Amino acid sequence: MDSSAKKKNAKLTWRDVGITIGTLAATTLLCYALRPFAGGEKFEAILFVVAVLIISRFTNGYIYGVAASILGVLIVNCIFTYPYYQLNFTLTGYPIAILSMLSAAMITGTLTTRIKEQEQLKIDAERERTRSNLLRAVSHDLRTPLTAISGACSVLKEGGDTLSEQEKNKLLNQIEEDSQWLIRLVENLLIVTRIDAPDGGANIAKESEVVEEVAASALTQFRKHFPNVKVETHMPDELLLVPMDGMLIRQVIMNLFENAAIHADGMTKITLDISREGENAVFRVTDDGRGIDPNLLPHILEGDFKRSVGSSEDKKRNMGIGLSVCSTIISAHEGKMRAYNGQNGGAVFEFTLPLDMAEMELYDYDEQQEDE
Amino acid sequence: MSNKYLIVIVEDEYNISSFVSAVLQANGFDTMVAHNGAEAIILITSHCPDLVLLDLGLPDMDGQGIIENVRGWSNVPIIVVSARTRERDKVKALESGADDYITKPFGTSELLARIRTALRHVQLREGEQAQRQTGVFHTGDLEVDYDKRRVYVNGEDAHLTQNEYKIVALLSKYSGRVLTYDSIIKHIWGPNAKQGNQILRVNMANIRRKIEPSTAEPRYIMTEMGVGYRMAEGED
Repeated sequence: MDSSAKKKNAKLTWRDVGITIGTLAATTLLCYALRPFAGGEKFEAILFVVAVLIISRFTNGYIYGVAASILGVLIVNCIFTYPYYQLNFTLTGYPIAILSMLSAAMITGTLTTRIKEQEQLKIDAERERTRSNLLRAVSHDLRTPLTAISGACSVLKEGGDTLSEQEKNKLLNQIEEDSQWLIRLVENLLIVTRIDAPDGGANIAKESEVVEEVAASALTQFRKHFPNVKVETHMPDELLLVPMDGMLIRQVIMNLFENAAIHADGMTKITLDISREGENAVFRVTDDGRGIDPNLLPHILEGDFKRSVGSSEDKKRNMGIGLSVCSTIISAHEGKMRAYNGQNGGAVFEFTLPLDMAEMELYDYDEQQEDE
Repeated sequence: MSNKYLIVIVEDEYNISSFVSAVLQANGFDTMVAHNGAEAIILITSHCPDLVLLDLGLPDMDGQGIIENVRGWSNVPIIVVSARTRERDKVKALESGADDYITKPFGTSELLARIRTALRHVQLREGEQAQRQTGVFHTGDLEVDYDKRRVYVNGEDAHLTQNEYKIVALLSKYSGRVLTYDSIIKHIWGPNAKQGNQILRVNMANIRRKIEPSTAEPRYIMTEMGVGYRMAEGED
């Protein structure tokens, strides 16, 4: 936090330089424009104090405000004070003008920096809270299967000959199931750390992908873990290209499938629809289970991890992490995600991603050429 | 006395190497384990194994270095073992001469399938190298006729364009193995092809619409996200 504030003060950015020069130029022009109406009054210095205030407020650090006040004094001296277009440092009141503009810049700069620090603190605290919630939820989710695995192992080791073949198999299957679940959990955690980095997910590498390739890849992965769940797919006839990090969107679809497979009671099949709506691709995962509890619905995508921690009826594992990973990924792609209950009562998870229109038009054209 | 295939497993994690070794031995392979890069090179040069299973993350050297070293003097099939999030490493390994890759965590059936495919391709390379692009390739209901340069699904012509045919023929030649986007593009559009693999993706999307019953569950050409494409193993 400290270092980031320091960095902001030290770094000259084009944006801030632009604001400084732009504001000063605009003020100078304004002075010219207002001159005929001023009746000889010396109003320019006051306007430049306002300009310095504005610059200090909208730039990072003191440097721009101070530079602007010095420049402002020079401009007023050179352009708007007799003798025009020359610098004259012998004028009375000159030190007062420069001092008042400098102090305006310093005071505004200090106030602005302090406000910004407060805002940053608030954001940091919020992030810290989310992180510790996540950590708590994860520890809980790790403990249960790990206890089961190590328990089953010691039974197998000590029980030896007293266990029937069937009992042994049951324990081994449990170990396998639990460890695979752990693998998937860790996969999701790795993704969270990749996106939730301080640079705000700048390391997402987007490339235009064909939507059905991502869907197929997610489906193949899902089938490995849930070979008996029925999945129906409806893919678009037209070629849809979406700029995305394919591995991440695949994870979203897998998480939604898994969520349906584990949580949708009474579900007989999952449906994945991908279609085009205007300049967006819409991905919709629907199940025919009993739907989402209306009390949970408003928070289900927010990563409200607390809800499931410690609730004794939560025998099945908490999908808070999986779903919140989904919405984090989708918002990092400038997409939208929502959850609702469908007409048949099952849950619907839907997300939209912007299409790569330029690329799609290009290939549309190519194809027509080839056909001719 | 033993005519079993010898597989060298290069893996620094003891638990993983012992489980992989157990699986392979149970399935009729001989195995040797190297726990670091230096050991691996010694084992490979002194025993000339039939296949190398190589984990890319080793303590003493980059797995990439081992591939380059071994490829300097041997065509032994190399299967790379890598973590899921490292697509770039996989592509790099394939481009420097690895035959295939498998993603951690993997299942035993997947591992065995990859190993068998890689071993089979060595036999093909040695045996019928020249004949491969004549005759007919079969997998499921798909048929690639190299003489007529046509692809049939359920006996019906799929009406592929020139480039589409070339892509399918290329993949079928290496069926069961993954081909990177770059290597396919170089084969079809030449070494000076425009950057980017968009054109290949678009061609593949069109091919799938012509030959696959469902584009979301392809049976013949599988996508390996971020790496390339893999054609289902051929049936003779």
